[in-house]
Amino acid sequence: MTITDLMTSKKPDAGLRLRVLGKIGEHKPYNCYQCIKCTSGCPSMKMLELKPHEIVALSKAGFIEELVNSGIIWTCATCLKCKERCPQEVAPVDLLLALRNLAVEMEAKVPESYLRLVSTVLETGFIQKPQETVTRKLEKVNREKLGLPKVSEPNEKFKSAFLRALEGG
Amino acid sequence: MREVLPKLGFELVDLDNVSCCGTPIKSVNIYASLYLAARNLAIAEKLGLNNLLTICNGCHLSFSEAMHYLGKDESLRGKINSLLSEEDLKYKGSLRILHVIDLLHDMIEAETIQKSVKRKLHGLKLASQYGCHILRPSKLGRVDHPENPRKLDDLIGLLGAESLDYPEKLDCCGALLMLSHPDAALTFAGLKIKAVQDRGADGLVVSCPSCHRMFDERQKSAGATIGSKLNLPVLYFTQLLGVTMGIEPEKLGLHLNRSPVDELLEKIS
Repeated sequence: MTITDLMTSKKPDAGLRLRVLGKIGEHKPYNCYQCIKCTSGCPSMKMLELKPHEIVALSKAGFIEELVNSGIIWTCATCLKCKERCPQEVAPVDLLLALRNLAVEMEAKVPESYLRLVSTVLETGFIQKPQETVTRKLEKVNREKLGLPKVSEPNEKFKSAFLRALEGG
Repeated sequence: MREVLPKLGFELVDLDNVSCCGTPIKSVNIYASLYLAARNLAIAEKLGLNNLLTICNGCHLSFSEAMHYLGKDESLRGKINSLLSEEDLKYKGSLRILHVIDLLHDMIEAETIQKSVKRKLHGLKLASQYGCHILRPSKLGRVDHPENPRKLDDLIGLLGAESLDYPEKLDCCGALLMLSHPDAALTFAGLKIKAVQDRGADGLVVSCPSCHRMFDERQKSAGATIGSKLNLPVLYFTQLLGVTMGIEPEKLGLHLNRSPVDELLEKIS
């Protein structure tokens, strides 16, 4: 006998659950006894209605596809309070990151800006190119003018290794 | 940093060819983020260095996590090292990861800092902002206590100012939500600035560049988001330290802050 979501008639997916559990991180949803300490201190609960204890319970039950396709996994600010305070070492934040990774793999709806960061790292080595900026008096300055060392461009070997890393995740 | 730390006896080495630490792409691919972290560590190791200093909490956590995961999982270390070998790099795990707060609080005598201070900050009330990622998870060994950090407050005290004790001290700046929920992120930042401002602080001192960006550069938008007029000088700790050491504000990059730091500078001089 398995659980069925009475609203959607969806069944748990043990295969996807294994993929989430296998991601690098210290998430252990099975340790959770729903004390709700994580949600009590979650800043994204106040602002965006993220309830980490529910994410843990749903993962435990195997409703992974529903989580992966829900925008709620992108509301975590990764302040790490849940990981610090959990008496059972469940690490809800690591679980959320694992779910996000799976959402990317399954080509679910992922905020585009996250994907853009990855392509910028591939092109420039960083999440943005060195930029010009202005002082409070609106004078234009760049790294050279500020006396900062040049930032080197990434070489081809880095690019190919980084691409391999992206595929190997 | 470049101005202040050498004056306190630290030698800084710039690393060539380093890249992003991995934190920003953790949500997309944790494995690739570990590769980026390990790559930077391997570059520093290759130069024979023992300590890697980060000014950023995100980098500090990324490097600490990489050392943790690669240290306990040999097959993961092997896989990452095979990626690194493309550039003739190898991760050994021999570095100590340090944050500016470690350096200034734990690795030099308080007297050394006190002696370098030319202008004491008497009569000023300053709030501290540590940033989440140097405090948690404590199991990894972080810079300060996860729930009751004191080091930045102690450092502010060394400069002669009063460090403000306020209930919102541990609140997150929201920086990592900017990508998906900018309004919520700016509300996080705005509410915290307002709380500090309402308590009559003369400024907010941060030890994380992401927090700095939220509270300084985005202060105006944060104010607009929560519907309050925000007017709080925000600066990174080494900027404040540099000012008390008598270093010119421009050399400390204070002309680049967006918050009203001039108001604070006037009070100091």
